[in-house]
Amino acid sequence: MLGYEFMQRAFWAGGLIGIIGPLLGVYLMLRRQVLMADTLSHVSLAGVALGSVLHLNPALSGFAVAVIGGLVIEQLRRSYRTYSELPVAIIMTSGLALAVVLMSLKQNLSKSFSSYLFGSIVAVSDTQLRIIAVVAAVGLVFFIVLRRPLYNLTFDEETAAIGGVHVGLLSFSFAVLTGMTVAAAMPVVGVLLVSALIVLPASIALRIASGFTAAVLIAIGTGLTGVFSGLTASYYINTPPGGTIALILLVFLLMAIAIQKLIRRRNRKKHS
Amino acid sequence: MILSSMQNVVFGYGNEPVIDHISLDIHSGEFIGITGPNGAAKTTLLKLMLGLLRPWSGTVTLNKEWAGNRGLRIGYVPQQVASFNAGFPSKVIELVRSGCYQRLGLFRRFTAEQEDIVKRSLEQVDMWEYRNRRIGELSGGQKQRICIARALAQEPQVLVLDEPATGMDLESRIGLYRLMRHYVSKHGRTVIMVTHGLEETSPYLDTVISLERKENEGWKCLVTNSCSAHFGPEA
Repeated sequence: MLGYEFMQRAFWAGGLIGIIGPLLGVYLMLRRQVLMADTLSHVSLAGVALGSVLHLNPALSGFAVAVIGGLVIEQLRRSYRTYSELPVAIIMTSGLALAVVLMSLKQNLSKSFSSYLFGSIVAVSDTQLRIIAVVAAVGLVFFIVLRRPLYNLTFDEETAAIGGVHVGLLSFSFAVLTGMTVAAAMPVVGVLLVSALIVLPASIALRIASGFTAAVLIAIGTGLTGVFSGLTASYYINTPPGGTIALILLVFLLMAIAIQKLIRRRNRKKHS
Repeated sequence: MILSSMQNVVFGYGNEPVIDHISLDIHSGEFIGITGPNGAAKTTLLKLMLGLLRPWSGTVTLNKEWAGNRGLRIGYVPQQVASFNAGFPSKVIELVRSGCYQRLGLFRRFTAEQEDIVKRSLEQVDMWEYRNRRIGELSGGQKQRICIARALAQEPQVLVLDEPATGMDLESRIGLYRLMRHYVSKHGRTVIMVTHGLEETSPYLDTVISLERKENEGWKCLVTNSCSAHFGPEA
């Protein structure tokens, strides 16, 4: 399987996204922005369509539009503090509507679009792999260097602001990184399932981790395992990689819930 | 010395002002209580003082030079912050250590001195033995205490607490007031605390700011003891 160049590219891309996606997911979940990844993937799709219509590189235009979408959502989140889910809904529908209209303008787009919607191992081009590598590197530096202010920001924005954290700047950088990660992950897992790779490992980690560092490490470990096993299964049984990875992660989540319940039941029996 | 000064401040939510032409000076080295019934804008007053809200009109000045070269550090415990973040996947000690991040910056490592501060902060709120527990496993009062320990670990010159005793039993509440009194009297720190239980806290306070509703006059800010205050648009 790894003898094929496209599979090597898919594993590299999947591995890098499998690290940065779940890491981002932990922070997104704790900041109650879980749907942001889903929204940005729809916005990014509109960017891909726009790139095709304007004869630009779709990967790059999708990337740029996702980053801009992230910034717009962050700005709207500040305006609609009480209804924080509202900007997400507005941007998601706007992105999808724009993508559908732009797609209709170019008839031969639908085939390449299905690879964006559901992910495709062969869809990972050299340009996309380079984009993913840059995003993963930028993301890792971001999360390692800024881990302390990010922890404080994630726990509570007000105390972070008073404690000297530049909340506005950090939130905007975080939104940009979210847009970058979503756009980079799209070719591997697809628009519809990009948030599964970001959210599912984090939801497993938040259930079982004893501390914050442990949560981050468990999320990355789960993400990588899910991506590699999903890509392998997808190659052998010829299924879309996005769906396969998401289903495997879902099985992991169900297993984590079941094991946690068993442990709790056993502990209760010990005390009774 | 004046730490924070509000002059003719007006602020509200929607169209109606909830803070209407209030002028108020907060002095350093005091234990100040802010009190008033529900909806009296106690938290709003606190957030205006801290610069978390911008007034519609008037000025709020925070005297940062007062703290000297090391910069002003403010420890803030918002209302119910601990309950809101009950699911935060953090050990108690991780959270309290995060109080030291402002002093450490991005890269400086924790020293033995910082570890001592973290330990002392947790001991002062009787939570050291819970240091390896996950936040979500603690009771409401215990969560509140670790948030106070986190603020103490910042080693702030000013400590701002918004109804910190919520969920605490009587013994813990009295322990907290004594601890704050100690910080003010022995270490020269300033403590500003929003409280409902004035009869319980007044023996420990230097100054009380009461927000009261007067017939046909709206909300007024009354200050007892050493703080100076003026009211009305003409102030």
